[in-house]
Amino acid sequence: MRELILSDITVMGPGYCVIGLERVGSANLDASASAALPTPESMQAADLQKGRVCARFRSVRPLPRIGAAWPKTFPYSRGSTVCFLPAPSSAVPPHLEDQNTHGLATAGEAVSEVELVDMLRTAEVSANLEELFGCELHTDTQAGNAWVDPGSATRSICGCHFRNVRFRVFGDPGDLNLRAKVLLESGETLNSLPVVDRDWRRFFDDLVQSRSKSRTTLELEAFLNRAIRKELLRARYLFARIGLARGRPNEGKCWLMLDSLFPQPNPAWLGGA
Amino acid sequence: MNSLENLDESRALEFSRRCVLGRLPSGVIPGDDDDLVETEVLDSMGWVDVLISIESATGLRDFGGTWPEGKAKSIRALADMIGEAQRKPPDENTREPFAAEPRDGPEASIQGWGYALGSVTVEADQIEQELHLPPHKIRDGAGIQSLRFAAATEDELILGQRAADIALEMAEVAVEKIDFLVATSTTFLALPSFAASLHSRLLLGESSGAFDVGGACAGMIYSLAVAKALLRTTPQGVALVVASEVHSRRLSASGAPAEFRGLFGDGACALLVTRAADTNQKSSLRLGDFVWGCSGTFASSLEINVRENAEMTVEFKGEQLAHAAITQMDRILEVLENKSGRARAEADYLALHQPNPRVVEILAERAHVALERIPLMSRTCGNLGSAACGVSLCQALTNLRARHDPSRPPLIFMAAVAPGLVWGGTFLFGKR
Repeated sequence: MRELILSDITVMGPGYCVIGLERVGSANLDASASAALPTPESMQAADLQKGRVCARFRSVRPLPRIGAAWPKTFPYSRGSTVCFLPAPSSAVPPHLEDQNTHGLATAGEAVSEVELVDMLRTAEVSANLEELFGCELHTDTQAGNAWVDPGSATRSICGCHFRNVRFRVFGDPGDLNLRAKVLLESGETLNSLPVVDRDWRRFFDDLVQSRSKSRTTLELEAFLNRAIRKELLRARYLFARIGLARGRPNEGKCWLMLDSLFPQPNPAWLGGA
Repeated sequence: MNSLENLDESRALEFSRRCVLGRLPSGVIPGDDDDLVETEVLDSMGWVDVLISIESATGLRDFGGTWPEGKAKSIRALADMIGEAQRKPPDENTREPFAAEPRDGPEASIQGWGYALGSVTVEADQIEQELHLPPHKIRDGAGIQSLRFAAATEDELILGQRAADIALEMAEVAVEKIDFLVATSTTFLALPSFAASLHSRLLLGESSGAFDVGGACAGMIYSLAVAKALLRTTPQGVALVVASEVHSRRLSASGAPAEFRGLFGDGACALLVTRAADTNQKSSLRLGDFVWGCSGTFASSLEINVRENAEMTVEFKGEQLAHAAITQMDRILEVLENKSGRARAEADYLALHQPNPRVVEILAERAHVALERIPLMSRTCGNLGSAACGVSLCQALTNLRARHDPSRPPLIFMAAVAPGLVWGGTFLFGKR
């Protein structure tokens, strides 16, 4: 049995795509390291000293017996520890983290969000756009999302510290689409990432429900970018996981998505809605 | 000369004695030839105060502004200098400085404002100890009680972002509406420039412009002037103006004199400026005309250079700089009175550059302005460079917002001076 700490649960069609962290090597995070979270600056300094981040975790995308999405009834949360029996896999670039399974089972206690972010910092991390997926990023429009050539990318998930985020809301009432603009530590921006983070999407749905139907997308956006963003940026850690969508047949593009945004939303933030 | 004409030698000496004694505790009577600063009868700001009072009483322009090297700072020397100044032909350059004429055109108004200070507070006595300065040099000599320093995790961008976020939230303007960002910082030396870096940091739209304006301590006023001028050509009519300085980091790595380093704090301010025609909000203050200039006479009073080995050198003549700042800001106020058509006594607040609180106190006395009308942030933050008059303005605007007196349209005068001597001013006014 292999063990994973679930790090990303993202909306994919009618179900969820899931990624977990698998320990590589025997090193455990000690309690003091979790208590005193390193700052992006100290991480950068450490990275410079080491030349690279020493990975203690790696991302694994457990797949259900059929298809790539787990059903809506998926019972776990970020931080849950699960175990699985691996099934034969043939991962296709760039989704090299794919791992077929015979299903997931609970495997003990969950880790807190702070601990999870700490672990994510020792998994796949990039400080800039170029190293996110080990290949060139393309954009079709000035304000649009970025994509990579599926054959060039060396992975399909990567974490990054960010300095700022702003939300955009598109679409009609009843079919709203949440996107985010993210500023990385390097000063580079990802302009229009679809937010597929399950918990942020639920939070957004709750926000939409809690507001009168007459509210416009601009007002929703304003609330997200003022009250919610203020709460978000107050966190001790600002960390995102950027993933690659599975390309549409013959499109030749894997679009970037915001798989996880830490801190995760707190329902209490909707108090002012 | 206005009130005192043609003082002969003995009257000039007597007049100088009175000016000096008026600034000393009773019972302290220095000799006419004693060097008042060297013997510590007066500190450097006290000496500037004496020069300013003589200038005010005699009308001798820039009296003692450039004190001759090696000349004692004594009562007799003051009398000599008065005599010498009286014999000089009238200043050729006495015309009023350039000031933009009022024009009909789109106005600009301030819709939001905010400031952020370095999160570390350091008391003046601690600074004096750390910099090996004589006790009370900063607290009493400069009037600074404490300084605000950026924490290790803070820089010009973080402080600028915080200030901008507050201003944007107050104005309830989405970042997509911002046509351009005008940014100023003396301490941010990297490329991409401060404006470009802050533009990214704020996640402004890609079709929103970003450019840097210099001017050091006058940078905020110059940035506002640029913003106002450009707003008439932009689609949304929204500009964000930000000033941000982290002196502590820059100066700690320099060869700057300790008494210079001990004056500066870290902070940022932001103003959201919109085309006034686009807003019906009567409560928002409009930007008036701008005045500006540059006087090379005092160019050497503060010189900062970067050597080939990247070491920063600072040449600082504190008394000369303080003197020049006081007299120039007083003149700016005079011009602003003409421009606005309202006397300084009518101004609710004066948002001024604040080299240090003592300078502001002397200026207030000379300019006949009540000190409580000058938001004196330098007392608890230190000199914030380009952000100084902006933070002062933010405090004034916040105070004004709390005041509900629709019968009297608000008025704020803004003035700043910077090395060069570059100077600028403007006024903000409300409509009835």
